[in-house]
Amino acid sequence: MGLKAYMNDIVEAVVTTAKGMRITARYGVNPKEEVTLQYPEERWEIPEGYRGFLHNDVKKCTSCTMCVKVCPIDCISLEAVRGADKKMVLASYDINIGRCMYCGLCVEVCPPKSLKHTAGYEMASVARGELILHFIQEDAAEIKARVALQVAEVAAKEAEAKKAAEAQAVTKAAEVPSSETESADLSSEAVRAAKEEAGKAGGGEPKATKEEEKKPE
Amino acid sequence: MEALAISLVNAVPLLAGVPLWTVTLLLMVVVAAVILVFALTFEGVGSLVLRKVAGDIQARIGPNRVGPNGMLQFLADGVKLVLKEDLIPASADRLLFKLAPYFAFVGSFAAFVVVPFGVGLIAADLNIGIYYVMAVTSLVVIGVLLAGWSSNNKWALLGGMRAAAQIVSYEIPVGMALIPAVLIAGSLSLQDIVRSQGGLLGIFGWNLFHNPFTFFSFFLYFTAAQAETNQTPFDLPEAESELVSGYNVEYSGIRFGLFFLSEFGDMFIVAALATACFLGGWNVPYFNAGALPWIWGNLLSLGVFLTKAFTMVLIMMWVRWTLPRLRVDQLMRMAWKYLVPLTFVNLLGVSLWLLVFQGKGIPGMIASLFG
Repeated sequence: MGLKAYMNDIVEAVVTTAKGMRITARYGVNPKEEVTLQYPEERWEIPEGYRGFLHNDVKKCTSCTMCVKVCPIDCISLEAVRGADKKMVLASYDINIGRCMYCGLCVEVCPPKSLKHTAGYEMASVARGELILHFIQEDAAEIKARVALQVAEVAAKEAEAKKAAEAQAVTKAAEVPSSETESADLSSEAVRAAKEEAGKAGGGEPKATKEEEKKPE
Repeated sequence: MEALAISLVNAVPLLAGVPLWTVTLLLMVVVAAVILVFALTFEGVGSLVLRKVAGDIQARIGPNRVGPNGMLQFLADGVKLVLKEDLIPASADRLLFKLAPYFAFVGSFAAFVVVPFGVGLIAADLNIGIYYVMAVTSLVVIGVLLAGWSSNNKWALLGGMRAAAQIVSYEIPVGMALIPAVLIAGSLSLQDIVRSQGGLLGIFGWNLFHNPFTFFSFFLYFTAAQAETNQTPFDLPEAESELVSGYNVEYSGIRFGLFFLSEFGDMFIVAALATACFLGGWNVPYFNAGALPWIWGNLLSLGVFLTKAFTMVLIMMWVRWTLPRLRVDQLMRMAWKYLVPLTFVNLLGVSLWLLVFQGKGIPGMIASLFG
């Protein structure tokens, strides 16, 4: 290393140090350069479309289970039973937010748009179980029992209505043939068969006509 | 110290019956306590300022939770260090492990003895002041090396070895860069060196502006001293990102605290020496502080000295948060291929200058031109 290179090294060291010191001095003096956010007191503005915690509006939810099927890590679980009015009734809707990776697939796929990302991002828990969000507070078994009861009631009502309708039909049919005793026996049989079939499917009238056809036998 | 004791005995008739050596000893203890309190306060506040400066430079905020604007952070840190469990690794050399922090702390604290705080504010105006500082601060190396060795930890050992190599290497340029001030004053005593920079020239009486060689000498000293005290561009013994924490990695509690304090103490010593040897020390520009009443003269000169020293400390922190760490070979190359030859050339230059111009500096010559 010649003297020239040696001197150049020294000059370079001094110049680069001075340059660096100028930059740090500018940062040190200028208070506007601070980028720290004092978190608990200050919060950042949540951007539009931010994927925070999931929230399901259970009133709008149709229990279609699309979210359950699409979730790559199976963090959504759902239980539903068919209600009295033939619509699905949610018994439980849980999201394990500790597992969720906020991919947003479930929100995209939701047909009634009931599942949404909220802006929430703060949560602390002492147990893993606390990370499971329950969107339906009631016990699933209770809901199921209640819905089953309603369904049974409605079914019973329907059955009664059918019975009445059949009884009418039978009496009508009975009026036409002459022999009364035979018809009475047959009619009791026919009612039993109708009851069995009413449980399977609705529409008593066509069946009633079927039974009318049966009767002459 | 004995002169002070005699004047105290003369001033207070109550002390007439007490033997002189008792008074002297008591005075020494009091002075030592005062300096210790000053050193500890500086080290505490210094650590806070260091972190605040780091925050500013790195576009952060720095400590701001304890007390107003984070002002009491250093007290919290101190309490934490004192209360923490003092761990000694099972495979450590217990005696050396316990001894090391004291070497480091004593090495840096003992140097405070000859720091000229003011006209009469110096614990002991040794006639070998600079020599004493150089000798006593070498104890820090022993402490660091002992800590590295006794911890029985590869990182600590690497840190300790690096520290030994680095501090021993940089001791030479530090000493050589300080000698110009000694040559100009004709004395090793720090008070004499400070007095030699006084007079009617004011700021231009400082050794910094005495001649071009002393000007460079100041920067050479500052660079080398930064390395000798393990400040960041040269903090290889600590090297957080490669050696975790270097020689003090196994230390906890108050033992770690002593290393920490010695580091900040060294910082002040470097700043104080730079101030005393090159920046006019406690001399008030265009003003003879020694001619004032004792109290006012001392307070004024103390204020001037501390202002200069703290400014130097701030500049050290500024450098610390600016430059990245050197590699070991770069560090050694810088010491032996650049700093050592340059300081020798400087020393030669200053000696020749003093010989040729009969000890006059450039400002002095200009002043004599105008009468």
